[in-house]
Amino acid sequence: MIRKYVIAVGFAATASVAFAQDYPEREVLGVIMWGAGGATDVVARAVTPAAEEALGTSIVMLNRAGASGAIATTYVATAPADGYTLLYGAENPQLYGVTGLSDLDYRDFYPVNILGRGIGVIVAGPDAPWDSMADLIEDAQSRPGEIRMGSTGPGGIPFTIGAMMNSVVDYDVTAVPFEGEGPGLTALQGGHVDFMPVGASAAADLIAAGTVKALAVFDTEEVDALPGVPPITDDFPELESLLPWGPFYGVWVRQDTPDDIKTTLTEAFATAAAGEDFHRIMSARSNIVMNISGDEAQAFLDQWQSATTWALYDVGAAENSPEDYNIPRP
Amino acid sequence: MDALSYFFMAWLDPRLLMLTAIGTFAGIYVGAIPGLSVTMAASILISFTFTWDTNSALALIAGVFLGGVYGGSRTAILLNIPGAPSAVATALDGYPLAQRGEAGKAIGLGTVMSVIGGFVGIIALAFAAPVISSFALMFAPRDYLLIAIIGILLVGSLASSSLAKGIFAAALGVVIGLVGMDPMTAQARFTFGNFNLMGGISYVAAMIGFFGVAEVLYQMRTIDAASVKQKIGRMLPEWSLIRKYIPLSLRSSAIGVTIGALPGTGGDIASLMAYDQAKRTVKNPSRPFGKGAYEGLVAPESANNAAVGGAYIPMLTLGIPGDAVTAIIIGALYIHGLRPGPLLMVETPHLFWFVVGSLTLANIFLLIFGLGGIRLFAKMVELPKGIILPLIVVLAVVGTFAVQNSITDVYWMLAFGIVGYFLKVYGFPVAPIILGIILGPLMDLSYRRAMISVRDDPGRFLLEFITNPLSLVLTLFFLLIVISQTPIWKRLWQFRAKSA
Repeated sequence: MIRKYVIAVGFAATASVAFAQDYPEREVLGVIMWGAGGATDVVARAVTPAAEEALGTSIVMLNRAGASGAIATTYVATAPADGYTLLYGAENPQLYGVTGLSDLDYRDFYPVNILGRGIGVIVAGPDAPWDSMADLIEDAQSRPGEIRMGSTGPGGIPFTIGAMMNSVVDYDVTAVPFEGEGPGLTALQGGHVDFMPVGASAAADLIAAGTVKALAVFDTEEVDALPGVPPITDDFPELESLLPWGPFYGVWVRQDTPDDIKTTLTEAFATAAAGEDFHRIMSARSNIVMNISGDEAQAFLDQWQSATTWALYDVGAAENSPEDYNIPRP
Repeated sequence: MDALSYFFMAWLDPRLLMLTAIGTFAGIYVGAIPGLSVTMAASILISFTFTWDTNSALALIAGVFLGGVYGGSRTAILLNIPGAPSAVATALDGYPLAQRGEAGKAIGLGTVMSVIGGFVGIIALAFAAPVISSFALMFAPRDYLLIAIIGILLVGSLASSSLAKGIFAAALGVVIGLVGMDPMTAQARFTFGNFNLMGGISYVAAMIGFFGVAEVLYQMRTIDAASVKQKIGRMLPEWSLIRKYIPLSLRSSAIGVTIGALPGTGGDIASLMAYDQAKRTVKNPSRPFGKGAYEGLVAPESANNAAVGGAYIPMLTLGIPGDAVTAIIIGALYIHGLRPGPLLMVETPHLFWFVVGSLTLANIFLLIFGLGGIRLFAKMVELPKGIILPLIVVLAVVGTFAVQNSITDVYWMLAFGIVGYFLKVYGFPVAPIILGIILGPLMDLSYRRAMISVRDDPGRFLLEFITNPLSLVLTLFFLLIVISQTPIWKRLWQFRAKSA
């Protein structure tokens, strides 16, 4: 018994010395917090081949979807902090506290790379009577609750954009939740909801084909991916303090991972995210490449979390106060 | 002309031909292992293809998809363990056939029907894709609710001895399906604060437990009994038998294509509904349903493979995934620099015909690989129970773990196996449990979505069942199924039959 224990400790000691110097000496596990084929999955799989090359080892990709990514986040948070388990995530963990889903958020992880971000766009059916967001809001005010908005549940992009809109203008629509942006857009095309705020990556092609109509980009200026669509600040300049806002995607490891491993990973992913292939896929998805890490990434994460959680809390859409989670007011 | 050349591209290029063949072959055998699903096979194989050209990737996937859906029925027939949820209905009559010594014939017939179903799906995709996809868009949350309700009526077909026991089993399934985070409000339901339950209970774990492990435990009661001798004469089904079932196969395939093309429903629901349809419409089955009726095998096998072509329809015309596998394909198309969506057909029409062509090719390979090696498979049933039962348990554990690398799923699977054993001992059918798990969430979400859309106004909610043409058709269909089972209706029919 004692001998077994000593051997085990011996192994553990050699192992911990070994990984600090020779990382990576075996394949790395990459846990993706959303399902195969989704927005996060595509970004993760787009960057990984080049990262594998830079890292000199293979990254085994595993989709652990469920509970808005909280299952994958917990999985990585409880795995050893040895750099062999990466979290491929989206913005969701930044809202776990206020939505009451989990006590974890990205402050428990080190941002290896925030690969890119998406832009929100508000779309309506092709035959909708509105030509701008101002039209839509005016119509919604004249018949409260009659207009149906496609949503994806609390903390999703439509929900958050709706809450942010509500923080600057008073209106009432009926939010119909779907399992994701795809099913929501399907319902929009079938006329079962009237409008929906979504990520541009999900809607850009539909807008180009004319099967949905874009009312506004949820940003301060027009974006390349959606030519001719006015920024939301044209109609509602008050939103400027909350923007730019949108989903983002990146790679994280546990905060207490040894520093040299963090450096190795950061360098590998910075190279990968600078690659041409990655840029091509990101622009096809109407995403903006960010490729930031370390303190710069942390500042972005903090700003995003503070702006979003307080906007949700102020319109009564958050379960817990951001204050309880030490999130400062913007 | 262009279309034709792209259609035959996969046929004429040796590399693409090989890839389609490999995909189909791998699909059949991966699909046959419970827990190793088509979805998983597709997502693993697709990540290999990221560095290839698009056509190679699409050819491989077409094979894996068709092969995998078909492969799931192998183990359903031989061992009563569906390799995939879309093969649950196949086990209902396929396994009794194997127990009668007709495993070879069952596989042979199933293969031919799968191929027929596959072709119906492909033809629908090739010639009616735009029509079917705009039809699929018409389905409102209310209509999905109606489909789920029509589906749940299947309990009547699946409950062999007692309807009450069938309803109990289905209700148990619905409760299992509701566990986890509610996708609409993010509220945790039935999780008792346990984090491992937040993501819900994997229905593959339930399927493997209730069918696989429960069956093993049940068989252990007669572990010393000699296994069934298989007839190893003619393995290929006779032409007369095939011809006899072609009308049923076509009907079932139509159900398969439609349900497959609806985003949010797939081969699992399609095959169960086709089975139900067969049970209700076939007046004189070869044997009673559930006891080894060929009809009970023909219907789901045609439907689940027809659903493959169906699932491609909204994907290629609208960029909307018809099921989990097409969702993965959409992701892969992005990686390959394509933009799945309504413009895909306009910008890259060749892609459409290439997909149709490689699916057709894969379907032909399916016939070849499916009919080969039947004898060997049929012999598997003859293995002594002392050898095959432990093998099944090992397979069940590995398969369940592989779904999402979760040991919690394995515990669930084993627990379901034990519960399933007692349910079997006391005469409860297990198939309605799976039905409940699949349809419960669909019913729950569609109902709430439909209610929210009318601002929780029950009057307006009910009125729309009659005022919307599509909903009206589905409502009438539902009423017809219910009324046709009542004693008054049956007496009326008998009366009319006598007087005629």
